[in-house]
Amino acid sequence: MTGRERVNRMFMRQDQDRIPRHDSFWPETIARWQREGLQWDQSDALRLLGSDFQVLCWAWPAPFPGQREVLDQDDETETVRDDWGGIGRFWKGRSGTPEHIGFGCDSPEAWHKTYRPAMLAAANQINIPLAVRRYREARTLGKWTYLSGVEGFEALRRLIGDETSLCSMIEEPEWIRDIVNVHTEIVLRWFEDLLAAGVEPDGLWIYGDMAYNHATMCSPAMYRDLVWPSHQRIAKWAHDHNLRFIYHTDGRISGVLDLLIEAGVDCLQPIEAKAGMDIREFAPTHGDRLAMFGNIDVMKMTTNDQTVIEEEIRTKFAAGMATRGYAYHSDHSVPPQVSWDTYCTIIDLVDRYGQY
Amino acid sequence: MPPPLNDLTAAVAAGKRKDTARLTQELLDSGMEPQKIVEDGLVPGMAIIGEKFKNNEIFVPEMLIAARSMKGALALLEPHLVEAGVKPEYTVVIGTVQGDLHDIGKNLIGMMWKGAGFEVVDLGTNVAPETYLQAAIEHKPQIVGLSALLTTTMPAMRETVKLLRESDQVDAKIMVGGAPITPTFAEEIGADGYAADAGSAVEVAQGLVAA
Repeated sequence: MTGRERVNRMFMRQDQDRIPRHDSFWPETIARWQREGLQWDQSDALRLLGSDFQVLCWAWPAPFPGQREVLDQDDETETVRDDWGGIGRFWKGRSGTPEHIGFGCDSPEAWHKTYRPAMLAAANQINIPLAVRRYREARTLGKWTYLSGVEGFEALRRLIGDETSLCSMIEEPEWIRDIVNVHTEIVLRWFEDLLAAGVEPDGLWIYGDMAYNHATMCSPAMYRDLVWPSHQRIAKWAHDHNLRFIYHTDGRISGVLDLLIEAGVDCLQPIEAKAGMDIREFAPTHGDRLAMFGNIDVMKMTTNDQTVIEEEIRTKFAAGMATRGYAYHSDHSVPPQVSWDTYCTIIDLVDRYGQY
Repeated sequence: MPPPLNDLTAAVAAGKRKDTARLTQELLDSGMEPQKIVEDGLVPGMAIIGEKFKNNEIFVPEMLIAARSMKGALALLEPHLVEAGVKPEYTVVIGTVQGDLHDIGKNLIGMMWKGAGFEVVDLGTNVAPETYLQAAIEHKPQIVGLSALLTTTMPAMRETVKLLRESDQVDAKIMVGGAPITPTFAEEIGADGYAADAGSAVEVAQGLVAA
């Protein structure tokens, strides 16, 4: 069975030879593993895992593509005005989320005068020749191919910042709706360009971290009002093109699972265990309508204790596989506290417990 | 006739910035002591917010607009509090640990602590253990709060707690929190308190200073 067949059958809740697999790693993790025996890079780890997925492109429309002005720097970080017009402090030579210092788009007026027109006028920033090449190679290898990018909630945070976006959900809801709509419009337009170039992907894998360890950032009602319509629009576009819709969000998302299903999301990833998400609870209640991709707790992995990790994999795989709609992924990204030996054990355990 | 303090409490809890500022000014103009306005008007409003947040009755946007309202009122009151020689009873030093640039969780908790009447010294993000130590010696806080969002920066949290514990010049309780942090980890590294969210952070901090 090819990866493509396997993943498609997972979406249809049909029998597979084994569960589909994919994972994410911090760059520091790969660096550690290279010292401990991994021969090449992340792609080598994914090959050994037996990943079934292949990304083709990344879509995150920016108003000023290519803009990057270094305003300040020290030994570890640099402060940059980026192509979203914001000022952020970024790590030099290591991974990690930047500190957002300021945002050029700080009011509805700035949005309508400068940022909205700039976003709509910006050219497609997807590297289409690269996506076409990846698509052809992935098809030869039998991988499940997907287009990736971010959705409106994540776009809001990058463009206007957490505090402004969250306060404006109450104080300026029309502004928020407009940003989300414009962002969604552009992403789908770019994806259309890719299809026109001859790429026939299997799905979308769209990122939008709209929850944290306690709950969703905004209430389910606010999500339903302001962001959900864009998720529904993405799902409709995907389904109209015979694609599946994988939605990525960290955090405790349990309060909106039904809304995600109603929007048309086909699969949830990575289902963050440390935020209290547990497929042993949700697979029996939602697994027939929402495929589950991930949930293997990286904190358990960091114990480097086979007994602990085996229990995590065995029990969660059993819950997920009972629905035929489950794929392996860590519940976020594998951190560098996990040794290469441990990860090789994890691959063995995924082999052992992930067979149908 | 001054407006009832209950009205101010309700305005803060509803995040009504203009109403909160207006009512605060009216209470000041009526001759009410600024400390009473804070303690009996504003702080109860933020306490309502903290409780509702903890119970998922409200979410981050509602908490943020309430904190903004509180901040606006405190700006009006601050000169009067200084003039009256009123200082917050407790001081908290807060920051995101070394290697981590996330700040929303730390900022939310800082806002809630300010709302509860604590003086908050915010060290920012990517704070080295030595910087925490210096700040703890300088400000003599009752609490040092450490935030981490990445699993990769949890060791820095451990290192900071160790350094603070080793110093005989620091007598503060240590609170930790953030997405990957669990009560077990907090206990393991020797922290005194763990808060799962910004709402319970106030409760935990109040418990620690009362102990």
